[in-house]
Order: sequence, then C-alpha cells, then structure tokens
Amino acid sequence: MSTGTYDSGRESGRGQGRGPGRLRRRALLGGAAAAAAGFTLAGCGDGADGDAAPQERKKGQKITLSFWSWVPGIDKPVDLWNSGHPEVQVEVETVSAVDGRQYAKMHAAVKAGNPPDLAQIEFPVVPGFLLDNALMDLSALGVARYKDRFVGWQWQQSVFGTGVYAVPQASGPMGLFLRQDLFDRWSIQFPQTWDEYEEAAKAVRRQGAWIETFAPANGNRFAGLAWQAGAKWYAAQGDTWTVHIDDEPTRKVADYWESLVRRKLVKTIPDRQNAWYKDIQTGAIPAWIGASWGDALLAGNAPGTKGKWRAAPLPQWRKGADAHANWGGSTTAIFAKTSYPKDALDFALWLNSDPKSIALLIDGGYGFPSAKKGYATADLDVHQDFFGGQAYSRVFADAGAHVDTSWQWGPGVDTLYQRLGDAFTEALGSGGSFRSVLRAVQAQTVSDLRGKGLKVESGG
Amino acid sequence: MSGTDRGRPATGRVQRTRHPHNSRNFRNSRNPRLTRTEARNARAAAAFVLPFLALFLLCFVAPIGYAVHQSLHRTERTGPLGLGGQEREVFAGLANYAHALADDRFLTGFGRVLLFGVVQIPLMIALATALALLLESASARGIPFFRSAFFLPYGVPGVIASILWGFLYVPGISPLVEIAGSLGLHVDFLARDTVLWSIANIVTWQFTGYNMLVLISQLKAVPDELYEAARIDGANAWHLARHIKIPLIRPALVLTTVFSIIGTLQLFAEPMVLRPLAATIDSGFTPNLHAYSEAFVSNNQHIAAAEAVLLALVACVLSFGFLRLVGQRGDGSGR
Repeated sequence: MSTGTYDSGRESGRGQGRGPGRLRRRALLGGAAAAAAGFTLAGCGDGADGDAAPQERKKGQKITLSFWSWVPGIDKPVDLWNSGHPEVQVEVETVSAVDGRQYAKMHAAVKAGNPPDLAQIEFPVVPGFLLDNALMDLSALGVARYKDRFVGWQWQQSVFGTGVYAVPQASGPMGLFLRQDLFDRWSIQFPQTWDEYEEAAKAVRRQGAWIETFAPANGNRFAGLAWQAGAKWYAAQGDTWTVHIDDEPTRKVADYWESLVRRKLVKTIPDRQNAWYKDIQTGAIPAWIGASWGDALLAGNAPGTKGKWRAAPLPQWRKGADAHANWGGSTTAIFAKTSYPKDALDFALWLNSDPKSIALLIDGGYGFPSAKKGYATADLDVHQDFFGGQAYSRVFADAGAHVDTSWQWGPGVDTLYQRLGDAFTEALGSGGSFRSVLRAVQAQTVSDLRGKGLKVESGG
Repeated sequence: MSGTDRGRPATGRVQRTRHPHNSRNFRNSRNPRLTRTEARNARAAAAFVLPFLALFLLCFVAPIGYAVHQSLHRTERTGPLGLGGQEREVFAGLANYAHALADDRFLTGFGRVLLFGVVQIPLMIALATALALLLESASARGIPFFRSAFFLPYGVPGVIASILWGFLYVPGISPLVEIAGSLGLHVDFLARDTVLWSIANIVTWQFTGYNMLVLISQLKAVPDELYEAARIDGANAWHLARHIKIPLIRPALVLTTVFSIIGTLQLFAEPMVLRPLAATIDSGFTPNLHAYSEAFVSNNQHIAAAEAVLLALVACVLSFGFLRLVGQRGDGSGR
C-alpha cells in the first residue's frame, strides 16, 4: 500500500481529482496512531531490504532493543531488566490494543522493513505474522532447551513445523464473573451448565437486568466458547490448512447464543466499552463471561462494586464435565529483522520466566503466567478484596489445567474475527440466522487464505 | 487547522493570465540580448519551482504510482503451510480490482456514503449558506462572536470530535439519551438505521462553519454598489439574498460542494472511532474503512491499493460529473 503523510491541504484550491493522496491524508487524520504509523512507514520502507544480517553483539557494546507491548505495568519488569543489563537496554513502546490496532501497526512496520526487535503478540495472531516471514525462528538459537520452563500447550502455540516462533508469556483461562450480592438477592444459583445459565438469564431479566451482552464484534470470545464446546477451527496437515469454523460444536454454540439474543435474554452492545462499563458498575449487567485477566479489568473499571464479585468456572455443556477454554494469551515474539536475536531472546526468556519479572507482571495484571515455576497460584489473587476474599485464581488455575490443548490457530485470525464481527453485526440487524454466519465465514475464510496463496481445504 | 479536508479556500483562478509560453514567444520575436535575462529568469523560476516539484513528486506522484503498482500485483507464497517459505510479488493484472468489486461489503460501503452524501451535503451547504447570509445581512449583531463560534468546530480534529460525540451517543453515558428517556422517548443514536445519521451530524457540526466561512469570504467580495442599486430598485433583504447574493457566490457553493463530495467518499475517522462503541458499524462501513481493514487487519495491501484507486476514480468521476452538471469547468482541470 502506498502512502505519504504529507499535508496537501494548504497548497491550493485545486482539489478535484486527487483521490489517493487525499485518501491517505484522511486515513491519517483518522488519527489512529496505528494508521498513522503504518502509512508513514509504508511509504519509504518497502523494498529496502538491505539485509542487516543478524549480528552478535560485541563485548561491551551497548545496544537498545525496541519492544512493543500493551501489558499494563510492563515498564516495571523492563526497568528491572535495564538496571541489571546496562549493555542491553530495552525500550518499551506501549501500543493500543483496541480492535487489533497494535497488529495493524506491526504489519505495517514489517511491510516497511522496520519492525521492533520484540513485540507482544497473542497466540491466535502468531501464524498471521509467519505468513510474512516476520518472526525469527528461535530454534536456530537453541531455544528448545528452555521449553521445560513453560506450560506445554502454551509453548506449542508458537511451534509450527520444526520452528519455534515466540516465547509464551501468559494465557487467559476463561471463567464466569458474577455479582454474588445480586444473585443472592434475586435467589439465583450460580449456573453450572449452559442450561442453568439460560434459566439464570431469564431470572436476571425478570429483575430488569441482563446477564450478558453478546458483543457481535468479539470474535475472540466466541472462539473461546467454541473451543470449550470442542470445536477445532484450524488444522494443519502436510502442506495444507483445513478450516472447520462451521463445525458441529460451533453450531451448537451459535444456536445457543442466537436463541438468547432472539428471546432478548442478553444485550447486544459491544463489551468492554463505555456503555458496558456503566452497566457493570450499576449492576445492569451482573455477570461476565471473561478470562483470568478480567480481574484487573473489573476491579479497575467498577471500583464501586468492590467485594461483591466472585469468579466461577465456565458453565458446562454436560453436567459435571470439566471442559475449558482460553481467551487471549500472549507471547513475546522476536522479529526476524532484529540485529541482535540472541540478546532479544535472553530478554524474552527472562521477562517470562524470571520469578522477579513474573511477580511484577502479575501486579500489572498480565494474565495467567505461561511459566511453570516462579509463582504460587495465590500470588495471582491480586484483587482478592474485590472478590470478597475469594481465592479466585484457583478457579482459573483449574480451568487452565483443563483447557483442550489440541486447539490450534491458523493464519489470518484477525481477518477471521473481523469476518465474524461483520457477519454477526449483519445477522443481528437483519435477523439472519447465526448458522448462516458460520457458513458465510467458513467460505470467506477459505477464500481469504487461498487469496494469501495457501493451500486450504474446507472442513465440514 | 489542517485537520480535515471538507473544503478548501478558493484561490485557483487568479493565475490564468500569466502563461509561461508568453515569454518564449517574446524571446523568439525580439532581439537576442534579452535572452540572457530570460535565461536568468528561467533559472530563478526553476529554483523556486524545484522544491515544490520535488515534494510534489515525492509525496504525491510517487505514492499514487506506488498504489497503482501495488494494485496490479499480488503476493505469492511458497513453503509448507505458507509458513517460513519465500514470498514474492507477481503481476496480477486486474485480479485485485475484480476481487474488490466482487466484495459485497465494499460495494455496500459505497452505497452508504453515496446515500450519506445525497442527504448530508445539501443539508450542510444549505445550512452554511443560511448562516453566511445571516451573518452578512445588514441587521446582524455580534458578527465576530457568531462567526468564530460557528467556525470553532472545524478546529477540533475529526477524531476528537467523534470521541466527544461518542460520549453523547452511547446509551448509559449520554445525557441526551437520558433526557429523552426521562421524557419517555427511547432513542438509540447507534442503532442500525440511525448510526449513519449520527455520523452525518458529527460531520455537519464540524464542517458547516468552515463552508460558511468560504461563502462569507466570497460574499465580502461582492461590491456594495450592487446592493445599493438593488435597494434603489426596491429590493428587500430577501430579494437581495435570493437574486444578488446567492447567484454571486455560486462559484464558492460549487467549490464547497465538490470538496464535500470528496470528503464524504473518504469518510473514515468518524466510523473508525465510533466502531468500538457501536455494534452496528462493520469493517466495511465506508470504502475507506474497508481499504484500511484490508491493508492493516487482513494485511492484504494489494487489494487495499486496488480499493484506494477505485475510490479515487469514483471521487474523480463524481467531482467532475458535478462540475459538468453545474456547467462549469473546475480550476484544476488542466486548461
């Protein structure tokens, strides 16, 4: 994509046909920092692949590594690293995580040939960056010997073929957050199955509140719910990707939510936005299907409800089952363009497995550590007061231990989320069925991936 | 603020009389001694033009050329699963254009901005004209204050304006929704059939004052004698406006309309900012947003480039079409 950050606005009144230039400018004004950076960079960078071959840092040489992340409080562990490593300084740039803008920025930087040395990338998005050969294969650096420091399936999320493309940072086992005071007052039991959840939704509705919102654009959570139901959206076999978005477990989930939406038992506003925060603060929405990192989010945005929330396991499709899923979860990836891969890897490993770093990351609220050791589950109960003294992290630790680890992500997940969001938005407006959403998105995803030059099969 | 582009001061037409080849004719026909002066002048002219030309090429022609180039290529990947293999750019002909034109969401976005333009532009221009006439009428009071007040929103960047209005639209936060609710009215500014007009409201709020100012500057250029003559002929204020002022500011009206057409086609900031707040704005709400999503969410720069070129073409066709319609050549039309 071409570009220019110029401002043609002052030149003259001759404006008619200036199409692309104007478009760029408009986009810039669009102001998304991501867009701005993207457009700026893309203009000059492409093709300038003057290969700076990875080099070894000379002894005593001072370098600075750039690191893009959005973990709250990430600067604390980085400061700690910097104070102990005067020669390898890490500079954090906080990127916006709204609507995937951080990835927009990263894709643009990769295209422009000047990505950061390291960046936080969520599990689902890792394959998308591999398509552009953006990430460094760490196996050549002997990363395999650190594998045992991390939870097996999370390590595996960044393994493709023989390559290892990122160091896992944290996961997000899903769970159900509830306002205990309101559920008690309304004499509603904590739902243990999805059937009970539906009953609870009706009961909550009778009190004038809503149990949840089905946010159409939240493909991430929908994926998690499908994951819990046993879906497997992507599979890689030989040199071919298979896409199974329109599979039985996902249909079950889609039917379930469609019925809740149609009977007006849930709202359809976007989640984690002003209106939703307001509802969470006032009890107009007294529950949230979230993930382990949601503790900080609730405590930070609804401080007035302190002490009233509890965490519970996700409702199950079968009573007594223990099926769980993951929402979010990040890695620290090293970009292939970095000049100092070894130092970058040292930092990534330290950041995500050193107990002192983990302690600081936990304070910031980064999710559930991918490291096996270096912390106790109770350390994660940072917001225990908010949850009325509940040792809530045990709920998520248990969920994390029962996540279906065979789930695999494929390339183009950000596009997939967008497709899902667009199709659900349309279905909510036009009254189309959620099954038609799955059918459409399945077909689109297959064609999207083929459009990227991949071999793809459509699984049922 | 150069923050937005829904209009731009009219400066174009002054230069007409100074044709560069006049001087060449001059030189050819007159004695050669002048040529040295001429040559020096030409050098001086070149020195003045060069910086502009360089920036123009670098920042304008080159990006457009690059966009067109990108739109005609695609990325080919090899390697198992497409991971870790080589990728290279190959010529794709018009495949990217075909892909863009086969995308319902992209086309729907076009339909949406056209509808937006058909409704919002006349409304805004009419409003701007009315305000300009009011402020320029003989009985107006507090002119500097009102002029600044109306113009002020233009100083607010589109993103900020959208955030501000977002707070007034989101249910649960918005005082407007609350007040309406207490009156027993249920309003949802972000619903499927209202959100486009909520955006239209933001755009109108932002740009009416600007367009008003352009119109006022043209009104100021109308010689007072005309008004006097009209008054002597018995024209009242309405007649003045209808038969003198509006016909005379017609060029400015055409200009602001053309800029508004272009600005409308390129709607981006408002839907982009409101999108997380509204479950009704999809990734292809406007063509520009669609191109952005292709480029930076799906990482399909080639398709995005094709969409950008298409968007530019449509903007061209509509702008020139409008100019043709009102029977007037534009300033930059190459004469």
